[in-house]
Amino acid sequence: MSIEVIGVSKTFNRFKALSNVNFKVETGELVSLLGPSGCGKTTLLRVIAGMEAADPGSGPILFDGHDVTGQEVGKRRIGFVFQSYALFKHMSVFENVAFGLRARPWRQRPREAEIRAKVGELLQLVQLQNFAQRYPSQLSGGQRQRVALARALAVEPSVLLLDEPFGALDATVRRELRRWLRKLHSKIHVTTILVTHDQEEALEVSDRVAVMNEGRIEQFASPETIYDNPANPFVFKFLGSYNLFHGRKPNGSTAVAASPSSANGVTFVRPHDVEIRRENSDGSGIAAKISHIAFAGSSVNVELARIDDQAVVDAALSMHAYKDLGLKPDDKVFIRLRNTRSFDDDYVI
Amino acid sequence: MAGAPHQNPTVGGTGKPAPPTHPLVRRVTIAVTILFLSVFIVVPVVNVFSQALSKGFDAYAGVFYAASPPEGAKLSPAERRKLSSDRSQAEKTWSSIRLTMGIAAVVVPLNIVFGLAAAWSVTKFRFKGRSLLITLIDLPFSVSPVIAGLIFVLLLGRSGVFGPWASNLTWPDPFSLHWRGFAQEWWPFAFTQSFTGIIFTPLAIALATIFVTFPFVARSLIPLMDSQGSDEEVAALSLGASGWRTFRTVTLPNVKWALLYGVILCTARVFGEFGAVSVVSGHTDANDTMPLRIEKLWNEYNNQAAFTVASLLALLAVVTLVVQVLVERKTGKAAMTEVEGVDMP
Repeated sequence: MSIEVIGVSKTFNRFKALSNVNFKVETGELVSLLGPSGCGKTTLLRVIAGMEAADPGSGPILFDGHDVTGQEVGKRRIGFVFQSYALFKHMSVFENVAFGLRARPWRQRPREAEIRAKVGELLQLVQLQNFAQRYPSQLSGGQRQRVALARALAVEPSVLLLDEPFGALDATVRRELRRWLRKLHSKIHVTTILVTHDQEEALEVSDRVAVMNEGRIEQFASPETIYDNPANPFVFKFLGSYNLFHGRKPNGSTAVAASPSSANGVTFVRPHDVEIRRENSDGSGIAAKISHIAFAGSSVNVELARIDDQAVVDAALSMHAYKDLGLKPDDKVFIRLRNTRSFDDDYVI
Repeated sequence: MAGAPHQNPTVGGTGKPAPPTHPLVRRVTIAVTILFLSVFIVVPVVNVFSQALSKGFDAYAGVFYAASPPEGAKLSPAERRKLSSDRSQAEKTWSSIRLTMGIAAVVVPLNIVFGLAAAWSVTKFRFKGRSLLITLIDLPFSVSPVIAGLIFVLLLGRSGVFGPWASNLTWPDPFSLHWRGFAQEWWPFAFTQSFTGIIFTPLAIALATIFVTFPFVARSLIPLMDSQGSDEEVAALSLGASGWRTFRTVTLPNVKWALLYGVILCTARVFGEFGAVSVVSGHTDANDTMPLRIEKLWNEYNNQAAFTVASLLALLAVVTLVVQVLVERKTGKAAMTEVEGVDMP
């Protein structure tokens, strides 16, 4: 089912959580809403779910072209998964998953045998078939999250809404569940919107990512586009660590004006696009001194200070390149920038 | 878990080592506590029972059942007077027990409904005047019960604001509901007695008792429901459950122990309420609840009978206490499993 949000705003006590958001998710897509906390991503999800009413005067919310704005949460056929899981504490895993089926009006309610079969199938899908009689308090965080997902899927939702589903889990479990969710989505192909503040999660899992800031969608595109062609400095900054240079330059070239610069504009470059060389063979390198070296597992983070204006530059090298260069603190080196991105200076964050 | 578990101070002490203190401090504080409890609770309670049984068990039972003379025995006029007086006293005592139970049967369910509604509204919704509402719920705790009774007299008494309306109101006595049969109407029950007016009738007693006891259920629910938030309810609604089903299958099971705890506290107070009830009862024998009955017996220098009825109230208090401990243990356990769950990977 496709979801379309047209001109939706939402204000809480004069705080503008959403301002005129337009957004369309195609049938079967997995889309992430990515942004810092307070950017309105959860509010947008709750408005789509019908748990929050948009401001009067907002445009409609369309499910497959039908206006659902006035429809109650229970009528929208959504599966909602909360960050806190919101499992029913006093019910077993089985009863939690069966809840949506038992809650149907009795004419549409499946028979007990059908409920059993359906719940068994779902528990198989989330790999918890042996935990049916456990209670939520006896499960780990990852297992609880999968129960919450199975419970949401039990009502055969036409859209799945996940609010920071992996937010409360530790890094390893997160990564595992993320991959599992991707696989699950390719199996059941239900339109899914996922809210997250973790760029890595959004880029890895989604078909498309909507980067949000201060109640607006800054950019809505595929993960590659978002990463390689960020629409504005906010998107660039939010997607990972970066170096900021004052002054504008043509994209792709290596020379950057030393600050303070006459040209107005800013240029960004990712640490892994900062190349360190011993020699300045073609004269395009910027002289810098290594101030600190930190190991980060597979890569090495090198902090440098430019000789000309003492500005700090971060570089990330592969372990291999680092060993080849034999870098030590206080070494004088030359840096070259690849894949720089320039923006006009008038963009205020 | 997001919701902080409902920790109970009486059982929450596990896992935390006691702070290092001088052994003398520990001994002194324990001794002071025990001394205080002895002076103010144990001694009076023991006294109640010993006074009640001071004239033997027969006299204790005689407060409720006047001993009948053997069949065909000749009674002197004095003995006959004493017997009839004993019987009427026993009947008055029974009447006070019936009234107390009747009041509790009306007031406690109303307080459950009110308490649930109040706790629900102030915890699941955010609205203007919410904190004012919470303060208002607590109001009866800070108002003297006598004042509470007086408010109703001033409102509903003859010269009160609603006096003209209230004093002409006629309402049936629920205790007089009788089987009438189908001869007259299709409805086979009928009331044979009715009351006129509100003040100085059992209705006024019920109203005053409601005023004094309504915070108990709401107060025991609000902290718990506040900490649980409304995610589970929203989840149930999003799964297509109706509002009533959500309340019945999600909200109620989550708060049932706190609810029971509130009901126990409320019931204990309903049984024992004196001040507010005394003001609105009019001091007629028919309007005596158990505490009022005790006062009357005491004023009639019938100490043993007064203590006997008091011992009944004390017994009710003990039962309440036992149930309360059981409930606390139960909620304590629930809180513990919650806490265990948090530590799991």
